[in-house]
Amino acid sequence: MDIRVLKPADIPHVQSTNITNLPENYFMKYYLYHALSWPQLSYVAVDVSRPKKTPYDPPKIVGYVLAKMEEEPVNGIQHGHITSLSVMRTHRRLGLAEKLMRQSQRAMVEMFGAQYVSLHVRMSNIAALRLYRDTLGFEVEKVESKYYADGEDAYSMKMNLNPLREQLEADEDYADEGEEVGDVGKKEKKKEDGEQGKTKRKVKLGRGLGVGELVERNESSKA
Amino acid sequence: MAPPPSPQMLGSKERSLFTQVVKNYENKQYKKGLKAADQILRRSPNHGDTIAMKALIINCQGNAEEAFALAKVALKLSMKSHVCWHVYGLLYRSAKDFEEAIKAYKSALRLEPESQQIQKDLALLQIQTRDYQGYVQSRRAILQQRTSWRQNWTALAIAQHLAGDLTNAERTLSTFEETLKGVPPKTDIEHAEAVLYKNVIIAEMGETERALEHLDAAAKNNPDRTSVMELRANHLLTLGRKEEAAKVYRMLLARNPEYRDYFEGLQSALGIEKSDVKALKNLYGDYAKQNPRGDAARRIPLDFLEGGDFREAADQYLRHMLHKGIPSTFANIKALYPDTSKRDAILELVEGYAAGEAPPVANGSAEKQPNSDKDLFKISARYFLAQHYNYHLSRDLNKAMKYIDEAIESVPESVDYHMAKARILKHYGDPKKAAEMMEEARELDLRDRYINTKAAKYHLRNNDNEAAIQIMSKFTRNEAHGGPLGDLHDMQCVWYITEDGESYLRQGKLGLALKRFVSISSIFEIWQEDQFDFHSFSLRKGPIRAYVEMVRWEDHLREHPFFSRAAISAAKIYVKLYDQPHLAHGSLINGMNGDHMDSAERKKAEKKARKEKEKQEKAEAEKKDKKAALDLNGEPKKEDKDPKGELLLQTSEPLLEAMKFITLLLEFSGRNIQAQQVGFEVFIRRKKFLLALRTLIASHALSPTDPITHEQMFRFQQSLSKLSEPLSPKAMQVINAEFNTLLPASTDLTKHNDEFLQRNHNSASHVQGYLKVRQLIDPSSKEKNQQDIIRTLALDGSSLEDAVRGLDMLEEWKAESRYKDDYLVAAHERWPEASAFKQKVD
Ligand SMILES: CC(C)(COP(=O)(O)OP(=O)(O)OC[C@H]1O[C@@H](n2cnc3c(N)ncnc32)[C@H](O)[C@@H]1OP(=O)(O)O)[C@@H](O)C(=O)NCCC(=O)NCCS
Repeated sequence: MDIRVLKPADIPHVQSTNITNLPENYFMKYYLYHALSWPQLSYVAVDVSRPKKTPYDPPKIVGYVLAKMEEEPVNGIQHGHITSLSVMRTHRRLGLAEKLMRQSQRAMVEMFGAQYVSLHVRMSNIAALRLYRDTLGFEVEKVESKYYADGEDAYSMKMNLNPLREQLEADEDYADEGEEVGDVGKKEKKKEDGEQGKTKRKVKLGRGLGVGELVERNESSKA
Repeated sequence: MAPPPSPQMLGSKERSLFTQVVKNYENKQYKKGLKAADQILRRSPNHGDTIAMKALIINCQGNAEEAFALAKVALKLSMKSHVCWHVYGLLYRSAKDFEEAIKAYKSALRLEPESQQIQKDLALLQIQTRDYQGYVQSRRAILQQRTSWRQNWTALAIAQHLAGDLTNAERTLSTFEETLKGVPPKTDIEHAEAVLYKNVIIAEMGETERALEHLDAAAKNNPDRTSVMELRANHLLTLGRKEEAAKVYRMLLARNPEYRDYFEGLQSALGIEKSDVKALKNLYGDYAKQNPRGDAARRIPLDFLEGGDFREAADQYLRHMLHKGIPSTFANIKALYPDTSKRDAILELVEGYAAGEAPPVANGSAEKQPNSDKDLFKISARYFLAQHYNYHLSRDLNKAMKYIDEAIESVPESVDYHMAKARILKHYGDPKKAAEMMEEARELDLRDRYINTKAAKYHLRNNDNEAAIQIMSKFTRNEAHGGPLGDLHDMQCVWYITEDGESYLRQGKLGLALKRFVSISSIFEIWQEDQFDFHSFSLRKGPIRAYVEMVRWEDHLREHPFFSRAAISAAKIYVKLYDQPHLAHGSLINGMNGDHMDSAERKKAEKKARKEKEKQEKAEAEKKDKKAALDLNGEPKKEDKDPKGELLLQTSEPLLEAMKFITLLLEFSGRNIQAQQVGFEVFIRRKKFLLALRTLIASHALSPTDPITHEQMFRFQQSLSKLSEPLSPKAMQVINAEFNTLLPASTDLTKHNDEFLQRNHNSASHVQGYLKVRQLIDPSSKEKNQQDIIRTLALDGSSLEDAVRGLDMLEEWKAESRYKDDYLVAAHERWPEASAFKQKVD
């Protein structure tokens, strides 16, 4: 089982995996929106040993994490969000979900200077809760009542990514890449001030771009 | 869109009203917009631009026909108005006639060369239709209007890149970079991305040396560290700078030790040959030690180790997994099975575990506790063996059943074990029992959608579409338009729609089957259309490499097996409809397809069915919810006028309908032999002999001994020899010349067929192909063929599917019932559990 970054060509199978495993489903465009906005954040687990049935068989996806950055972070604090995570039942307990999550989290920090990552999970989902809380170190932030379409409550969970950042910085010093990494976290403020005399677009990107409307509608219908 | 109005004919009040109309349109206030437009038109009834705006609004309200008529009126009145042409283009765009839309935009642009909006709309359609040259031009024009925007430079570079002009793509990116004062900070993500994009372009030019220099100079602080390292490792390896490459691959592996590409990169960087097992073993051994929770470094060596080494490593690996009770162990191992010696070694090991040769576990003797580690280990071993014996390369279903029953006895609440048992039953050929068992599994964990999905799938395999959708509905949004099935369509649930269609096809319900396959095709149209918004979105958002990758992927979207699987079935249905036109009504005859009725009987049955159908439709109409459902845009959803696919069946040109699928199949899935073969069926019926021949040549090249191709070759020969109207001498000459390479004119057909049999006499499907051909070239052999087909049942390698296909052949030949009975008895003997061969009690 390979763990690697999600590519556009993986999306049909990721979509299949999602609708096989979870009740919260999205159409293709929503996956594209993730893959083309934050291509570094979403990962897939691939069964590389599967024999091909046709010369065109795409890689067989057996798990994925679909992740994003918050579009309009409150106070400009960058943070990531897990939109969806699942692993085929035939491939569970191999450690895939954990590995997918860890790759995504590191990319959030490195690429976007994320301070924390958040997610929602059904209160009854024991497997996922153990993974998030015990294995990865998420904490329950609050309960969101009737978050899901069927009326179930959700835990809103958060994981502080600063320890991960510190660890990455330490590793990087070790690797002697000789670069400054300390300013990653300050990124957003700078952006808003506008750099180099160019006014940077605001991070308000989901909206008004054709994809945006759809995205929001979708998120509300999913939630 | 905001085309500046051309208000020369309007008074000031109307002029401001016109601005109002445009605003209303943009804000989707359609009613208001129409009202304002009508107000203008009362004064100036011939104002083309206003009429055009009205057309645009009406189109948005869903009335395309009226909109087009109005737009034409507008154009007649104001041939010189860019607004009218622009609107005309927008209407075509929304009708998805991109070619006409592009023409209209170009007319508009000629009249108003400065319009940014028209230029952009044109550009978007050009890239959507892959008119790269046109797109380069448009992007250049847009850039010239605003050179300070990085986006515009990047967009031109993308256009050049996609058009294959790598040199200028790079130059464009560099030109903008030169305008930058100083190096942008690491936090400028747009810049960071543009740098990596440029690096990819340089590498694509084959200038690896320069690519590496560029990367080292410009990407030191790039936040996309994974990409930088991957590019660097690649460049270094290409350049043969192996030591440095190895260092980078090690860094990548430290970040992600579960990616085979990295291991392979490291292997070649270290110059380890595939045959140097010792070095490989050490390499992976080190990584296994470093990553106690890792899998790859433990699993990969099983691929290259042999003999005693393999046994030892497999033993360790399996013990580790089975002690943890990991249910996916077999899924992770079965790829080794084509190697029989490995298969045997694994079997021996696990049979040993199951028999109780597990060493005592560290935390002592918990002999009697049912949930002790030791028990878990043994039970997991049995579960593994059940999967082993259920797998097609090592199948022994009775043993599989014995092991799974033991496992279930130990852990009666295990979803996984019940699921495995259902799969075994499926392989026995008893879809009904399999579905019942999968239901049991589902009931053990009602909250898990995966097992719910499996249960639904097994119901479909059992041709119980009702039960399937009922099960699916436990996880769908049932308030969606069209209920659970509507939600599955909205959510593009390809697997379900496809399996549903295949299930209907098995039942002879061609309308519903076709309906589903056509839905798959529509989903692919949506997927193709989906890229449209990203042509502009991605430029604003910045990640260009992912965008380019998306464009390239969309270019061959329809090679996806999701598409070809449905398209092949759809084309086959159309062929069936062409051969047996009465089937268009056949699905009305209560599930029977009317094959065996004479025409008077058939008419009677059809009449009866029609009546019943009318009654049913009336009832449904009355039952129907009065409220119109809303689609995802909050707009009224178009009513599906043909929910059962009956109109689809009634096409007068089934072969032309089939061509819609064949064209795409041959364009995108030419190396799929089934695509070529169904293409043949359509072409031969359309008497397109040259095209039919091309598919034959292609299939033959893909697999020279394929039994279906073998049969098609003979049918082709027969069709040519029995032409009702001769082909032109020139066509004949071409065909003869090409066909000669497959089946020379001098061939003795009978002999050729006999030789085919001799070469493949152990394979049921080949013997079937041989018999079909014998029947074709010598109809008097029917008696013999009916007898001989039974022999295929005795062949070692015969599968259940082969046997079912044999039964179908007897049907096709309209064999006497004694032959069918004999066949069924023999098949039943070999596959006693299979429901296909259980004699039906009348
Ligand atoms: C939740 C889910 C993604 C976990 O995937 P996975 O690949 O099997 O998880 P991992 O193997 O990486 O598990 C890591 C750790 O999580 C915990 N965990 C995972 N599954 C568990 C289960 N069924 N019961 C208890 N703990 C579990 C364990 O601590 C495990 O570590 P361990 O195996 O060393 O004991 C998977 O069960 C799934 O896809 N479920 C359905 C979809 C879903 O619920 N998604 C989450 C929505 S928020």
